[in-house]
Amino acid sequence: MKKQREHLSDHQSYPQEPPRWVDRLLEWFVAPHLLEYIQGDLYEHFQKRVVQIGLKRARREYIWSALHCLTPFFFRRRKTNSYYNQNSNPSFKDMLSNYLTIAFRNLLRHKGFTAINILGLAVGMASCLLIVLFVTHELSYDRYHAHSDRMYRMTLHGRMDEKKIKLAYTSEPAGEALLRDFPGIEAMTRIRNDGGLLVKNGKDVFKEEKVAFAEPNFFSFFSIRMVKGNPAKALIDPKTVVLTETTARKYFGMADPIGKTLTMGNLGLFQVTGVCEDIPSNTHFHYDMLGSFKSVNGGTKWLASGAHTYVVLREGYSIKQLEAQSEALVNKYVSTEIKEFFGLSFAEFLKKGNQFGFPFQRVTDIHLYSNLDDEIEANSDIKYVYIFSVIAFFILLLACVNFMNLSTAGSAGRSKEVGIRKVLGSVQTQLVGQFLTESVLVTFLALLLAFGLVILLLPNFNDLTGKVFTLSSIFNCRVLGGTIIGCLAIGLLAGSYPAFVLSSFKPITVLKGKVQAGFRSGWLRNTLVTGQFAISIGIIIATIVANQQLKFMQNKKVGFDKEQVLVLHETQVLGEKVNAFKNELAKLSPVVRVSLAGFLPAGISRKSVDGVQVKNGERIVTHRTKSYYIDEDYLPTLGMKIAQGRNFSKTFPTDNSAILINEAAAKAYGFKNPIGEQVSLTGDGSDGSKKKYTIVGVIKDFHFETMHQNIAPLIMFYGGDNAQLALRIKTDDIPTLLYNIEKLWKGQTDNPFVYSFLDERFNSMYQAEQRIGQLFGIFAGLAIFISCLGLFGLAAFATHQRTKEIGVRKVLGASISSIVSLLLANFLKLILISILIASPVAGYVMSQWLHDFAYRIDLSWWIFILAGMLAISIAVLTVSYQTIKAALVNPVKSLKTE
Amino acid sequence: MKKTILGELEELVLLVVAASTEEVYGVPVLEQLQEQTGRDFTISAVHTTLYRLEEKGFLSSSVGGATAQRGGRSKRLFALTAAGGQALREIQETRSRLWQSIPESKRPLLAKLDLS
Repeated sequence: MKKQREHLSDHQSYPQEPPRWVDRLLEWFVAPHLLEYIQGDLYEHFQKRVVQIGLKRARREYIWSALHCLTPFFFRRRKTNSYYNQNSNPSFKDMLSNYLTIAFRNLLRHKGFTAINILGLAVGMASCLLIVLFVTHELSYDRYHAHSDRMYRMTLHGRMDEKKIKLAYTSEPAGEALLRDFPGIEAMTRIRNDGGLLVKNGKDVFKEEKVAFAEPNFFSFFSIRMVKGNPAKALIDPKTVVLTETTARKYFGMADPIGKTLTMGNLGLFQVTGVCEDIPSNTHFHYDMLGSFKSVNGGTKWLASGAHTYVVLREGYSIKQLEAQSEALVNKYVSTEIKEFFGLSFAEFLKKGNQFGFPFQRVTDIHLYSNLDDEIEANSDIKYVYIFSVIAFFILLLACVNFMNLSTAGSAGRSKEVGIRKVLGSVQTQLVGQFLTESVLVTFLALLLAFGLVILLLPNFNDLTGKVFTLSSIFNCRVLGGTIIGCLAIGLLAGSYPAFVLSSFKPITVLKGKVQAGFRSGWLRNTLVTGQFAISIGIIIATIVANQQLKFMQNKKVGFDKEQVLVLHETQVLGEKVNAFKNELAKLSPVVRVSLAGFLPAGISRKSVDGVQVKNGERIVTHRTKSYYIDEDYLPTLGMKIAQGRNFSKTFPTDNSAILINEAAAKAYGFKNPIGEQVSLTGDGSDGSKKKYTIVGVIKDFHFETMHQNIAPLIMFYGGDNAQLALRIKTDDIPTLLYNIEKLWKGQTDNPFVYSFLDERFNSMYQAEQRIGQLFGIFAGLAIFISCLGLFGLAAFATHQRTKEIGVRKVLGASISSIVSLLLANFLKLILISILIASPVAGYVMSQWLHDFAYRIDLSWWIFILAGMLAISIAVLTVSYQTIKAALVNPVKSLKTE
Repeated sequence: MKKTILGELEELVLLVVAASTEEVYGVPVLEQLQEQTGRDFTISAVHTTLYRLEEKGFLSSSVGGATAQRGGRSKRLFALTAAGGQALREIQETRSRLWQSIPESKRPLLAKLDLS
């Protein structure tokens, strides 16, 4: 370099210069010990070429040949052959054991720092591990079936009378027709789900909710293993049933169930022909009993039957072809029935804005993407998978940031060590190796602790998510391998910054005590802390909003009085005796009123929909309206209010052709004064089933569906449904009342006594939201905890660094409070910034979430203030311990240090 | 030490250095090469080869004087070593042995090639 400058004058005497940028590139790229000669030769050649071929071409040649120098050969720096370099290549094993010893000693010396580091990381890893378990399980639904990639479910979508229908099942004949008409179907199977049954084995009676009737090829279609019995023949004959292992044990204990019989509801005696494994948890159905399909009467009408229908496509056929075929099915079979039911031709039917079709969905998508009516089980939502993944990522990020932060903060204390090591002959790679070993060691210690936490928390986590994870789902090769690789990556990533910064210290300056790495990288740590708190505050806001919405839904006036209502289930088994039983119940003193309540606005309920034709001037409009069948006690028992007109009454013999409607229905039908108006019902399409009804009353709107939906029109017919009884009670001593009722029940029937409370049923409708609220709460706590650990460490570090400054300030007369506020101000600034960042983001995300609800809270400003205040106060609490401690120290002591 | 194999370019460069009367550096070697073979070379290739040969012990190098033409940068001058001379000799001997062993009947082929 020097030489170059000396000859600058000569150099200028040649005006033809090669491009400057090429030289700079060369100077940067080529190793110093080669640069001088190659550049000299290039110059000399260039000058000669200028004379030969002119400046322009010579320059081009120069660039060309210079670019040729960009090879590894010229880049490689010469190894300095100094004395200690020859001796600084001890065997890797020796070095590693030395690294580990030093690392352990270091960790032990700074016990507090180490504990904070490991604890923070462990909490982060444990929650991440649990979430990964959850997410992978959610994603694995129905993927274990042999042809899951070609397996589809046929569904039914339509639009009739302005009302959309989206059903998870399809017409019963549809599967067979498809198999007959379309060569691309490899296999088809159907499941009929007719609801719960009372199953009797001798004296034992159980209510079985998860009963289905399946076709004989069920076990070859779905990959569910048969434990006993012949999978191909088990479900061929009518009145045969296959039990899962658990169910078989429930009824028959250890005895061999094959050949035994069970009475299934009113379907008669069924013979057990097989036992299958319990349906794997990652399946979209979990039946306990599978009866043969032939045991139930098959429907033949396309518009009046239903079965869950699954097909496997042959390889080479696309879902497009299948959908085209399903259109053909509609034209071929359904159009004639539409004529029969609606008295319209198919073209007219469509012209009125109606639709009808059989779309298909992947079986593997059912669990996460399907949300149709009459799903076999309530499905999950891909949204939750995303939410959880994001949270897991954030929590892990928080923990890593913490780790990095604390390591860099602690690094200033080790700059002297680095200096001494370098003077004694350590080279940079060795120092990097040492710091990386240390951080990887910490991550692995954290991993061990995380495993402990996971084992401890697994039962609670199962409760929360409704899954059944066992230890073996964590401690298997795949998960373990993944976590270990992940840990290594975290350790290397988180350790890389301190490792490279520390090891690049110049020994002289460090030993002179000049460089304070802690201050140099202050902006980075500040950004990291701000980011951490932004995430925590965001999660806090989400928690508050979710809980507010939940509280809002549970406390909103639902239009009926859900407190103190007892519901008895399965009362239809009493048959004719139900009215006598009802009167007996009414005689009990705590019982205020009893009503037949097969239809209820929360929990298990009958469902019924009717076509209501309303004359609107000249036009007759058909509305598809949900309907309830109630008796005269229903409204008072449930505390529903009448807005106009009257309730049903025994004193009006004409009430059999009277109806009540809700306010929403009055509005939808366009009645200004609904009392006395007449509507007619379409029935099942035949003339005989059409009937005229007179409106006698209007009920105030009440929520008979979840708050996700607006209150829909509803009509109520006279004639209670005896599937359930609702009791308005007034007592503090519920156990005694239940005991008395059970005694009465047992006097009537052998069937099990099942009851529930209306408010509990109502709350359980919002289980998903409740779960989300709880989870957010937990993760908000974790995020805050981890952030605070980080903040605590940083505060400790910052106050330690400023020990002398504090001492001097105190000597000069600063009060304790002024010192504390001085130290706090720094951190508060960061947290204020993070509030500013987090609030709009969290506000936006949560307003999106709230859009799912027809009835929702507004995002009010106090939520953000509360979250901010919460974060600030937690941070202040965390930091003030350190600062007050520092401020209280006698300045004599702090000034004496060193 | 196992026998070092010389590549074609290495052999040429070594010969060029051997043929020059005094110590040479990159540019003259490049010019000689281009003149003798009629092919184009880049300086970087020449340098790489020179350094390789030095590493193998066939050339020795020293730092030479700078000129204004070079922007004041010094040259690296190369000279043939005894080992280099030995290597060239061995190559030469191998070649002539092989030439000798070409049978009489094929000599016209060689001659014809020479003519053309």
